[in-house]
Amino acid sequence: MASTQDGKVAEMNMLARIRRIPFWSWFWFILGALYFILPLYATLKFSLGMERDVIGFKAYGRAFEDPEFLSTFLYSNVLALMTIIASIVLIVPTAYWIRLRLPEARRIVEFITLLPFVVPAIILVFGLIRIYSSPINVPFTEMTLLQPLTTFEVGTDILIVAGYVVLGLPYMYRSVDTGMRTVDVRTLTEAAQSLGASWFTIIVRVILPNIRAALLSGALLTFAIVVGEVTLASFLGVPTFGPYLFLLGQHRAYEPAALSFASFLLTWAAMGLIQLFTGGQGQVSGAH
Amino acid sequence: MSYLSISNVTKQFGDTVVVDNFNLDVEKGEFVSFLGPSGCGKTTTLRMVAGFEIPTSGKILLDGADITDKAPNQRNVGMIFQSYALFPNMTVAQNIGFGLRVRKEPEDTIKQRVDEMVGLINLEKHADKYPYQLSGGQQQRVSLARALANRPQVLLLDEPLSALDAKIRVSLRAEIRAIQRSLGITAIFVTHDQEEALSISDRIVVMNTGEMEQVGTPFEIYNFPKTRFVANFVGSLNTSDAEVIDPAKGLVSMDGVQFEAAEGTNGRTKGDKVKIAIRPERLSFASEQKKANVVDCTIENITFLGSVVRIQVKIGNSKFNMDTFNNPFLELPKIGAKEQVTCSKEAVLVLDE
Repeated sequence: MASTQDGKVAEMNMLARIRRIPFWSWFWFILGALYFILPLYATLKFSLGMERDVIGFKAYGRAFEDPEFLSTFLYSNVLALMTIIASIVLIVPTAYWIRLRLPEARRIVEFITLLPFVVPAIILVFGLIRIYSSPINVPFTEMTLLQPLTTFEVGTDILIVAGYVVLGLPYMYRSVDTGMRTVDVRTLTEAAQSLGASWFTIIVRVILPNIRAALLSGALLTFAIVVGEVTLASFLGVPTFGPYLFLLGQHRAYEPAALSFASFLLTWAAMGLIQLFTGGQGQVSGAH
Repeated sequence: MSYLSISNVTKQFGDTVVVDNFNLDVEKGEFVSFLGPSGCGKTTTLRMVAGFEIPTSGKILLDGADITDKAPNQRNVGMIFQSYALFPNMTVAQNIGFGLRVRKEPEDTIKQRVDEMVGLINLEKHADKYPYQLSGGQQQRVSLARALANRPQVLLLDEPLSALDAKIRVSLRAEIRAIQRSLGITAIFVTHDQEEALSISDRIVVMNTGEMEQVGTPFEIYNFPKTRFVANFVGSLNTSDAEVIDPAKGLVSMDGVQFEAAEGTNGRTKGDKVKIAIRPERLSFASEQKKANVVDCTIENITFLGSVVRIQVKIGNSKFNMDTFNNPFLELPKIGAKEQVTCSKEAVLVLDE
């Protein structure tokens, strides 16, 4: 009885709080929400209308049945995973060292991480092809240091992952740096050092767990970029999900819409995972 | 040979000398405090012992071994930080066991040691909690247990009580001292709080602008300050300009009022400008029995401070504070009243101007 009354009181309090929100706050909130939701709704509605006068999932069935879909999607996922690992290995120690020992280098590194916004992907891919499509020799000798990476599958995969690391750099670096700002990196490092920990142990057991949420955010953004990326994959001739979706869109109408909507769902699922891992706080438990 | 020896240590950051020719020998089991204002070099000295800073010159020996250039994780030194520095992703037990896990101790040993340490700091019920679920005092106790779990050769405490409220500070400092005594561990404690240093230390190193001003027991530091800085920094002090009038008898004159000092006039000549300093608690109202240093004064102000009543008196042209213990039967004079105050010869410190 008491709990029912408590529930009613809580509900009334919430309604009172909602009523107190000014009109213009509601106006801008609804406008913003519509801006995001309407295209999604349109895509969903279109993808469900493959059969005349019937709302159904036929487009989804067709899209998922295509063996090309599964192979390209899995391939993109593997590349995304590789990109995320490479990004973490490259960026976490860099951001950590800058915060710990080289704060004066932060501006330079931040500028470098912003370069992907300035240099388009098309320029990047041409640069990669230009340099890595011919053997690289040891300077001033005829000795080959590196075979042309574009001539074999693993080489091309390395190239595209490297390209994706560059494209994801602004997002991953900022996420990691913001994460490190929320913990006292210097003192935690010194505490761990005084307890006998090596640099590797400090990064793996102290720093990484405390920036878990930031890493997940960066990884999610990188994942989204890699899975939908078209330019690098097309020019390097790698069969990923982006070019597949692009080609599908040129020949079919409903299936690309279905796959686009499915991609959105996938992104939301990833965001849900972040909430799950971080307890909805955007930070690890304990990092207060 | 002493257990920890800091010899001729100097630390420079660019052109700035932060610690200048620091020399200190610490015996095993001793509790030494570095006391001084902000920027005096006390934390830098501590960080050099911890290995977080490398001295520009000089040597640091621990139990006979040269650790001057050793990495922090290669020294067996425990450190406690002002901000606790507990790992937020680990529970109390995991924090305490971290150093032992790094050393790859067997799990049984780790568990036994963690239980022992949790018991030592009386946090048995909180072993599975995360740091954010603990109060500041509890967090600092965990930090202490974590540092002690590794059985360090020296325990370094960098202003560990500064972030805590006054009551917790007092109880925790007693707890730290009791644990240090029971384990017989050598400890260096950095603080800018003179009361903290006086209450907890075997010896105090008073530092100023990178140099050691005085090293001594709390009793020596408080009662026999060797420099004006130490006299001013440790405890409250009344100071005033004075002039030596008879070095042999220890007589000095302040605005025409004569004081007799037990020490401090040796080596000075008549007419030397000096400062005289008297601690507020060494002044009292003159009674029939007391004949030395009886001077006239006017009551200027009376402040009730709880256990102490602070009476401001004007002697000559100088205003001095006089502290007297509060009791319900204390008869306080009226403001503006003419009285006589006195102090012993030993209470009058003669310092350089």
